[in-house]
Amino acid sequence: MDAVEKANTERQRRWVKDKKVGEGTYAVVYQGREASTGRKVAIKKIKVGQFKDGLDMSAIREVKYLRELKHENVIELLDVFSSKTNLNLVLEFLDSDLEMIVKDRALVFLPADIKSWMAMTFRGLEFCHRNFVLHRDLKPNNLLIASNGVLKIADFGLARDYADPGYKMTCQVITRWYRPPELLFGSRYYSSAVDIWSVGCIFAELMLRIPYLPGESDMDQLKTIFRALGTPTEEEWPGHTKLPDYVPVGQFPKPAMRDLFTAASADTLNLLSKCLIYEPRKRITAREALTHPYFFALPYPTFPSKLPKCSNQFSARPLEEVDGNVEMNASGPGVKARSLKRKLTPDEVEDRRSIARRLDFSKHTPGS
Amino acid sequence: MASRLGPGGWLQGKTVRKGGALSSNNTRSSTPQGVQSTSTTIFGGGVKDASGRTSEFFSMDDQCPVCKSDRYLNPKLRLLVSSCYHKMCESCIDRLFTLGPAPCPICHKVLRKLAFTPQTFEDLSVEKEVAVRRRIAKEFNKRRDDFPDLRSYNDYLEEVEDITFNLINEIELPQTEARIAAYRAENAASIELNMQREEAYAQTLREQEEGEKRERELRANQLRREEEEEREEREKDKREIIDKLETSDKNAAQLVAKSRANALRRTSARAASTTIVQSNAKLLRTRAAKDIPDVPHVPFNDNYYAYEDMYKLRPGGYNDFFSEAVRKDREGIMRAGGYKVEEAWDRALRYAVAGLDLSPMVGLNDETDMTVAMSEDAVLTVA
Repeated sequence: MDAVEKANTERQRRWVKDKKVGEGTYAVVYQGREASTGRKVAIKKIKVGQFKDGLDMSAIREVKYLRELKHENVIELLDVFSSKTNLNLVLEFLDSDLEMIVKDRALVFLPADIKSWMAMTFRGLEFCHRNFVLHRDLKPNNLLIASNGVLKIADFGLARDYADPGYKMTCQVITRWYRPPELLFGSRYYSSAVDIWSVGCIFAELMLRIPYLPGESDMDQLKTIFRALGTPTEEEWPGHTKLPDYVPVGQFPKPAMRDLFTAASADTLNLLSKCLIYEPRKRITAREALTHPYFFALPYPTFPSKLPKCSNQFSARPLEEVDGNVEMNASGPGVKARSLKRKLTPDEVEDRRSIARRLDFSKHTPGS
Repeated sequence: MASRLGPGGWLQGKTVRKGGALSSNNTRSSTPQGVQSTSTTIFGGGVKDASGRTSEFFSMDDQCPVCKSDRYLNPKLRLLVSSCYHKMCESCIDRLFTLGPAPCPICHKVLRKLAFTPQTFEDLSVEKEVAVRRRIAKEFNKRRDDFPDLRSYNDYLEEVEDITFNLINEIELPQTEARIAAYRAENAASIELNMQREEAYAQTLREQEEGEKRERELRANQLRREEEEEREEREKDKREIIDKLETSDKNAAQLVAKSRANALRRTSARAASTTIVQSNAKLLRTRAAKDIPDVPHVPFNDNYYAYEDMYKLRPGGYNDFFSEAVRKDREGIMRAGGYKVEEAWDRALRYAVAGLDLSPMVGLNDETDMTVAMSEDAVLTVA
């Protein structure tokens, strides 16, 4: 056994997999613990070999950036090791995410709670941006909440370093409802401002308790944005008509934000509108946002451990990555629409057949 | 990567609308899902959401596999799914099956016009699995309490899963059907019983909901009544004051003050009763009861300031190949997209100076002098 292999087995021994908690297209998530301390962790097993070009891109991105980022408000990658042909990422175990909290109708948010979440989000994001990493997929279910209430940014599957001179970047990133207009217009050169737009949408969602800009398609997304914030003029956003995918989608007047966010304070609306400025270069940066008067005004941000938490019990799962492509192991009888997309190898089919033969139905009477 | 974008990948948002996104979210996750599926169709038939609507799958690149017509040619294109899980457009269905049962143009199974249903899932195999599971769940509806021990219950579940699997993947169909028939014959009574139980459960849930709704209405009515009373009282007070001012010979200011005090006492009594309601609402919050005071906001809680003062960007900017790219961009496309050349300079400089003030690792003492010299050099060039 050479030195590398030895080091790998040593690392592997540090962690114990307990149970499977979710499966996605490119990874299986297990709950596990550290062998020596019993500390809970989430182990994300990346399926290798399914992909022609080797490892999935998002796995590479995730490892590449999480390895470098260490901050209270960014999920911690504890270890990486390989087992057989699989790559395993050991991540912090986090109970719930912001989406579950937003959707839990039993919870009441105080303005101070929202302030606290926003401050933590901005701190984590500022740290990423300070290190020149764009997250590019910020949304409530990628903001995970630790058991002590601390919010952490997770899922760096679409992250990328930025501020390289003149390299084109893809505009097909960020979940549609949180995607800024410059990406919808197909801009290939953008900056940290894209993440700020997403945070602005999350901010609004925390106040409204429903998604702020839910577009049904990319076209509709632009319309939804313009309906909510008014169509940008050349003055407001110089040069946007020259962007590659620019299409005029109609003129909408600029409604007052106050009409939708009736209970918000002036500071709150000021910060929100600065996050949702059309011209990306004028949009507030994470660093500026953290020194915005909103955060210093009363009430003080709620202490993390006092923030509202999800009461329902199904939250006992690591939501390391619960977006569209992870299926929860739902239990119980009935229709399980989301757990249906499993793939069986020929071996497994054979295995299940033999079980079918063993259990002869005509003789076996369950319940008798 | 496309599937990662767009929330709820399989449901292309026909029913997800602004404001509606939450109402479609099933808040009663404890409802057994078997209750919802009352459809008798064997195949898909569209899955109903919590509000009872069927959400239909819809995509811009729909194309009818039979006549190859697509959404571009026919914007009203609507694809329906046959009982053999093949899609075709409505006009094809009309054309092929109006004159009675005819073979499916794809797999030649004989189909009827009535047996086409809307599509809910993007993936037809999911559609099929949902249908099969729905059918199986109707008959194999035993519960844990029907078994003496966990072991036999697990065996039963295993069997059910096995039959389901066979049906979905069309393995040994005749045998499987025979097994289902055998089970049905053997357990007719218990199936019926369980069905009734299930219904009773759904009934209690419905009643519970009704009760909650009634209670809410009651509360709203009460609030309205209280408001009404308050308004009337205020009117009455006003009238009284005027009357008294007219008739009595006491000091006017005193009279007004007295009635004001009365009114104030009444409103405070009312407020006290409402605060009880409010404090009840507050109990819903599962806040930790610990007495941790909230602290004022601190912009950065890490070693952010360690980054400061390492260097300063030259006010006029730099004339290097970073700015070259921006200068070439005459139409301002990079600018409009939010690209900042300052960030490129910032990054280059930060990478150049990062780690300069770290003390050298043990055993590398010889090179200390060189490092210091280099760092001074760097600061000089930057400035």
